[in-house]
Formats: sequence, structure tokens, C-alpha cells
Amino acid sequence: MNVEELVRAALHEQAAEQPPSGPGLADRVLTVRRRRRTRRIASAAVAVAAVLTAVLGVPRLESGGHDVRPSGGVDHDRTVKADRPAKTHSAQSLPRTTIAAGNTVMAAYFTVKTDWQTERQGVRVRSYWLLDKKSGRYEKTTKWSWVAVAPGLKTAAVLEQHLPVRRIGLLDLASGKVERWFPVDHPVGGLAFSPDGTKLVATAYDKNPDHRTKEVGNDPVTPFDSRRTSFYVFDVASGHGTWAPVKVTPGMMGIPLNVRQDFAFSRDGKTVWGGQLSKPYMRFYDASGHRVAAPEGEKYRDWFVDAGLSPDGTRLAGDFAGEKWYTSSWLLDPHTGKHLAEIHGQQLLAWADDKSLIAWDLAKGDKDEFHSRLVLVTIGSDKEVPLSGFLKGSDGTEGRWTPVFARR
Amino acid sequence: MDAEADESFRDFVANRSSALLKTAVLLSGGDRHAAEDLLQNALIKVAGRWNRVDEPEAYVRRILYRQQVSRWRLKWPRRELSVAEPPETSGPALGTDASAAAELRVVMRGALARLTARQRTVLVLRYFEDLPEADVARLLGCSVGTVRSTTHRSLARLRTLAPELAALAPAAGEQLSSRDYSPVEVRP
Repeated sequence: MNVEELVRAALHEQAAEQPPSGPGLADRVLTVRRRRRTRRIASAAVAVAAVLTAVLGVPRLESGGHDVRPSGGVDHDRTVKADRPAKTHSAQSLPRTTIAAGNTVMAAYFTVKTDWQTERQGVRVRSYWLLDKKSGRYEKTTKWSWVAVAPGLKTAAVLEQHLPVRRIGLLDLASGKVERWFPVDHPVGGLAFSPDGTKLVATAYDKNPDHRTKEVGNDPVTPFDSRRTSFYVFDVASGHGTWAPVKVTPGMMGIPLNVRQDFAFSRDGKTVWGGQLSKPYMRFYDASGHRVAAPEGEKYRDWFVDAGLSPDGTRLAGDFAGEKWYTSSWLLDPHTGKHLAEIHGQQLLAWADDKSLIAWDLAKGDKDEFHSRLVLVTIGSDKEVPLSGFLKGSDGTEGRWTPVFARR
Repeated sequence: MDAEADESFRDFVANRSSALLKTAVLLSGGDRHAAEDLLQNALIKVAGRWNRVDEPEAYVRRILYRQQVSRWRLKWPRRELSVAEPPETSGPALGTDASAAAELRVVMRGALARLTARQRTVLVLRYFEDLPEADVARLLGCSVGTVRSTTHRSLARLRTLAPELAALAPAAGEQLSSRDYSPVEVRP
């Protein structure tokens, strides 16, 4: 017998030995529920009174008055060079100036804080830092709840706060102004551009996908009641959009999806995929929402590995490996799913060119799993180029930030 | 909740609460009181949606696991079971095969109770629910690597907590012994 077998046996034995639950459990549950409901109604009344007070006390709010947005400036198209030197700022966390490597630039990043609106209901609120290409600095804005940056960094698609929302903005990153709005009948909560930037997919939810609750004592709980309903695909140039309902089906242990599980485009931009918690872990759809086969090279992709296919389509970024080095990841053959190579990096985020990736990784010898930084890793090389300072805190605490990459 | 729903809820609790409590006990590291709290809160939630929930047992199980997952991911202060006795470091020689196995299971149970909620949740999902690593990763919203490394560390921790386990053969989940790692949070 090995340890795994003993753990299994001990757990099953312990479960089998449990005496039945005591009498009166249903009564206790229903009594506590009635008490909590009464308390929530009272809390809601207090919250309404507070809102009324605020509205009466502040007659007019200036929209976006405190936002610092990217300054104006003319963007000069850059020729993509795979050998472009990386811009690194290894002492910065939060990043202040441009982080880039090869063809990829960190176009923005965000931090998240939970805003508890009532005793038990909260929303995770993102603050974005958008790259101002003219100054080369990241500037903070709290105006948007979601930002997707198109390749070239001229345009971003944005959603206003209080998701889900009924319009999508196209933000001119040079002027900082919304140039166009796309209205939607089904409220949306997430956005992603196609790889060539000509199309935009918007994920529709009928409830805020960033909501959080407290169910037990003071412990916040990530809800599992995904309310994803559908997606839109917009042609960015014309503004023409199509809507496609997608039924959420029960998955592993009855959990269909993460509460936020946005759609995104496949590499060829012809299909839309959505992640699943159970097999098949990636589902692909046409613009009408009908399931289709995985496109070439994406059959073995997994939704939680952000980097995906290499630019030349010959390698697929995979999950953690940890065999050759303390922290490393697999590169897969996109056609067979088999391991091609092991590369440094704890989590592969974006391809810089055909042989290099931007990844999270720990410092050499560091064992703190949350103390990671952006690095550039290259196939066949032991060298890592630090691109940022280290994340602070641990999962879910302040000092964490999430990068948003785009092709230059 | 109307009278009919009230009755069907009571029937559900009467028929299924004992089975659900077993899972809650495992998640709570054998702490029966904590398990009852966990289950009670899950039942309160399902009661609030009784007329809209098709499979109440699956729903309650999801709540039980998600509560554990949320505590892990958000690094919220956790309640851990305090155990009065330190782990045995040089226990008596184990007797017959059958009694030795039984003793080992008792030792293992004590060690499981000393794991963190995060470690215990992963082991319960892997070895009680028998979910593959990829399914656990998706359920917990992390990478397979995180599940693998957490499993490895949890098994290694069990050996540390209970030296009696040292004689056991290494398990597949212990193959990452010198390559401990976990990634940062995963964006859904």
C-alpha cells in the first residue's frame, strides 16, 4: 500500500463511520434562514437610505472627472521585429513604464478589489492602468470595468462599470475618448478582440459575473451560478454585430462554468471558443452559436493557458511541467498534443516571437509560490530576462496585478 | 417557501443530510461541529432556491466544495482543527497486517486533520471524489500544476506529520518531490 491508497482508504473509512445527522436539522435550517432574511431586508433598507442621502447631498456628479486617461499623441506604426529588445523594469511592481518583448507589449494591467455593497453581497472591481504610448507610462483609470486592447494599441474596447452593461465603447487610446458605442440588447460583461483586431466578441451575462457573496460567517465565496447566456460578434469597422445564444450545460459535479467564463476567438478568428470545467474543456462555436470542430492546431489548447499557439503555429503553450527545472512549462505539438519541449516559466502568458514567451516565474531558488514576476523565456535557453518587479502579497490580496497583452 | 416546498425540503434533509455530512466531515478534517456548520449553511442556501434547483444534492455538494475553495483562493482566515496530541514520532511496532493497516488508517486520519483546508480539499477531491487532476484544476480554477504540486506537498506533509507512514511505498502523486511549485491565480 502506498500513501495515496492509504489516504483513499482512510477517507472512505472516516466517511463510513459517521453517525447520521441529528434530528431537527431541517427545522434549524429554516429558522436560521428566516432570521437571515429578516436581517438582510433590514440591511437593504439601511442601504437604500444611505443611497438616498448621498444622492440628495450631491446633486450632480461629473462623469469621469477623477480619471487619469492616456494623454493624446500620434501613434507611429512600428515595424514588427522579432528581435526587438525587451523593455524591462525589474524593480517595478506595480509597473509604471512600458513592459514589452518581441512583438508583444503589456498594453494594460489591472488590480482587483472587492466592494462589499451590503453585508453579504459584493462586486470585484477592477482598476486599469492603460499604456500611454506617447509617454511610455501606465496611467490609471477607474472608469472601465473591462478593457480589451486591439493589436497595434490604437483602440481598446471598453465596458462601463456596473456589469453587465448594454453598450460597448471603442476607445481611441491616443485621445482617450470613446469614438463609438455599440448598443446591445443582451447585457455584456466581457470582451476580446480577434487576433487581427477586425472582430470583437462580447460575452453576455444576465448577472454581474464579478459578484461575490458571503455565505459562511465572514468568508467571501466565489459563486458558481454562472449566468452566461450568449455572445455577440461585431465587425469592428462596420459595427455590425450578430448575437448567438449558448446554453450552459451542467459539468463536473454539476458546476457548469466559472462565474466569469468569457468567450474568445480562435487563432484564425473564424470561430469562438468558451472554456468548460469538464470535458470537452474547450468548446468552439460558429458565429450563430452552433458547435463546430476545433480549428487547426487548437484541439489540445486549454483555456487557462493564456499563451496559446505560437505565431508560426508550430508550438502550443501548455501547462506546468516541473520536471527539468523547479518551475517550468510544457510546449506541445499542436497537432498531437504531445510534449515537444520543456521551457522555463511557471505560467506561460503570451508569445513574444516564435521561440520566446512572456511568463510568470519565481526568482531562482525562491519557493514562495506567489512571489512571481514577468520574465522572458526562450526555447533552448536557461536564461530568463526579468520584465517586471515581483508580485506582492498572495492570491487575492493587494499588491497583485494582472497583465493584458497585445501585439504591437 | 410554501407548504409543499417546505415538506419536500424536509424530506430531502431527512434522506440525504447524513450522506452530505460525511463529505462535510472530511472537508473539515474530522471536526464534526465545523462540518455541521458547513452543511447547515449549505442547506440554508439551497432552501432559498428550493423551487429553482433541479438537483439539490449536487447543488449542496457544490456549495460545500466552493466554500472550501473560496477560503483557499481568497486566503481568508481559516479555522483549523486543533489537535491536542502531537504526532507520534516513534510509535510502537505495528502488529499483524490487518491491525497494522487499521492503525495506519487512524494515524492517517489524524494527519489529514492537521493539513490546511487547501491541502485537505485537494486530497478529498482527488481521493474521495476520485476526480482526475484536470477536473480538480477546473473545479478550483487553477492549473493542473497547482493541483499536482498541492497533492504532492500534501502527501509529503502527511509523511512529516506521521513518521509511521515512512515505510509506505512512494505514490504517483509524490513524484514531484524536488520540484515543488504553484502558479499564480488563473484568469478565467
